[in-house]
Amino acid sequence: MDIIAGIIQTSILAGGVLALAALGEVLAERVGVVNLGVEGLMALGAVTGIATVITTPSPMLGFALALVVGFFFGMVFAATTVYLRANQVLCGLALTLMGTGMAATIGRAYSGTPAPATFPPIAIPYLSDIPLLGRALFTQNILVYLIYIILPIALHWLMFRTRHGLDMRAVGENPAAADAAGIPVQAMRFWYVSAGAALAAGAGAYLTLAFVPSWSEGVVAGRGWIAVALVIFAGYRPINAVAAALLFGLITSLGFVGQARNWPIPSPVLSMLPYLGTIAMIIVPVLAWQRMRRLMAAPAALGEPYYRDVR
Amino acid sequence: MAYRIQRIPSAPPSVALAARGLAIVLALVTAGIVLAALGFNPLALGWQVLRTTFGSSYGLEDVGLLVIPLIFTGLAVAVGQKIGAQNIGAEGQFYAGAFAATGVALFVPGPMAVILPLMFVAGAIGGAIWILIPTLARAYADVNELITTLLLNFVATLLVYWVATGPWLDPSGRALATTARLPHEVPEFWGIVHWGLPVAVVVVLLVGALFAFTRWGYEVRIAGSNPQAARYAGMPFRRHLIMVMLLSGAIAGLAGMFEVAGTVHRLQGGISNNFGYLGIMVAVLARASPIGVLPAAALMAIILNSGIVLQTQGITVSTVLAITGLILFYTAIGDELARYRIVRA
Repeated sequence: MDIIAGIIQTSILAGGVLALAALGEVLAERVGVVNLGVEGLMALGAVTGIATVITTPSPMLGFALALVVGFFFGMVFAATTVYLRANQVLCGLALTLMGTGMAATIGRAYSGTPAPATFPPIAIPYLSDIPLLGRALFTQNILVYLIYIILPIALHWLMFRTRHGLDMRAVGENPAAADAAGIPVQAMRFWYVSAGAALAAGAGAYLTLAFVPSWSEGVVAGRGWIAVALVIFAGYRPINAVAAALLFGLITSLGFVGQARNWPIPSPVLSMLPYLGTIAMIIVPVLAWQRMRRLMAAPAALGEPYYRDVR
Repeated sequence: MAYRIQRIPSAPPSVALAARGLAIVLALVTAGIVLAALGFNPLALGWQVLRTTFGSSYGLEDVGLLVIPLIFTGLAVAVGQKIGAQNIGAEGQFYAGAFAATGVALFVPGPMAVILPLMFVAGAIGGAIWILIPTLARAYADVNELITTLLLNFVATLLVYWVATGPWLDPSGRALATTARLPHEVPEFWGIVHWGLPVAVVVVLLVGALFAFTRWGYEVRIAGSNPQAARYAGMPFRRHLIMVMLLSGAIAGLAGMFEVAGTVHRLQGGISNNFGYLGIMVAVLARASPIGVLPAAALMAIILNSGIVLQTQGITVSTVLAITGLILFYTAIGDELARYRIVRA
């Protein structure tokens, strides 16, 4: 039973990285912009987080600064893709290359140093005393509660229960119609893409401040790309995205358990599991649930810049 | 007299080319400013790069060696773009090609004249197999190939790392984390530059001719620019898509084959040096033109070599990656801005 509780606790911790990055990508894609720079943003956030706690041992400050850095790079990306209307795929790849390269260059000074301060687990009174799974579910760091409970519910409410959310989705589905209805299409895209980028960098800081917790080159290891894939699998819905990330945390933690318990599978092969799992997860549902296709479809104007004069 | 800005569907080639040149210059200037802010002297660094690269035949040979994988991976990405497929998994196909070629070299006995061609074929097949699942998923289920090809990069990297440190580890015990030295290698023809370079150029010319002069190439180009029109005209879009993506994977596999058989001589983790990702850059700079891949790859090789030259100055390969990203970023902006012209209203 302890093993299962351990697996669940690790799954939640590991899935949190993907969940936060995926939530950010949901924001960007719902307003019609594909941000393929998540991997680079996460690297920048990760290095910001570790650099901050090594200077000032405050993980909260590290996380906050990562959000700021992500927001700044998000604004650069959004300005070029939304206002200058440059190709989103190329700009995203460029952001990934720049972010990964810059983070590795800056991070060399911090390589291998464990984070001197991390987010401590907080036990929720009473709930954490529930036998069997209480400890695993309710003794987590504060970001976990934020990522799994507060953020997805807030975003779901915003996107599907408010007028503003309807406007937001209209911008992603049919920007010309949204524009005609008086919704500021470009501003909406700009701010949500930037906010999404901030969350992606936050996910990177989560990696170095709560999960790993130290910096090494390649610490992000494709998690940004997995997060982008998760958004498709989750049908561009925040609550689904978090659930999918948790499933992924489970796959990752199975790999850890395998290594710890000396399963007769080499550890590089176990490390392939999350990537293979992601590929399976975006291919299989398309084949299996034909009826779900419409419900889970991407926003109709995803990836297309909006020109008011070219209709 | 009033003027207004007009957007045209595609930029005139000369303007697009000028925009690319400007993008590269701006990226280098930006990088120079950042380096200056960090306390480096960018002009001195630039001079050192130029002197080391072009001042001696050693420098040119280094560039000649780096350009080989870049031509192949750049061509691979460019081929995919011809039909609108974004193969950003050239990195993984590179590893798969290197893996397959190494397997042949280590375990198939025979004379070099037989084994080297076999390795060539194995490299191409390895790369093609690595893109098979993304290809079928795109062709039959419309799954975005961008993410599937990319995720397989991580799997291929882990696969090569695993065999090089486990099953295929050098049995002599002298080398850590690599396979034994391959019994056959691609011969050199100019200093350290091996015959992979002429082969790469020939492959570029063949692929260029395939797209420019054959009916198949014509149909692929139509399908790439307007899939609906291609289907309406009765062209087998799906079959073309599958063929093109497999060709793209095979070419990327050749990059891995020549890297392991000509340059490194052993299979090891991290053998690719980001060549697959830099191939995306090459293809973008070449505007997906097979012939354009040659100058674009040469430019990337010079940039990559600068990183190696500057390593003693505390500038790493990661810095070069960041500068590459910057070039790509400005290029994407330039591509869009090149489509505007000012007309008299």
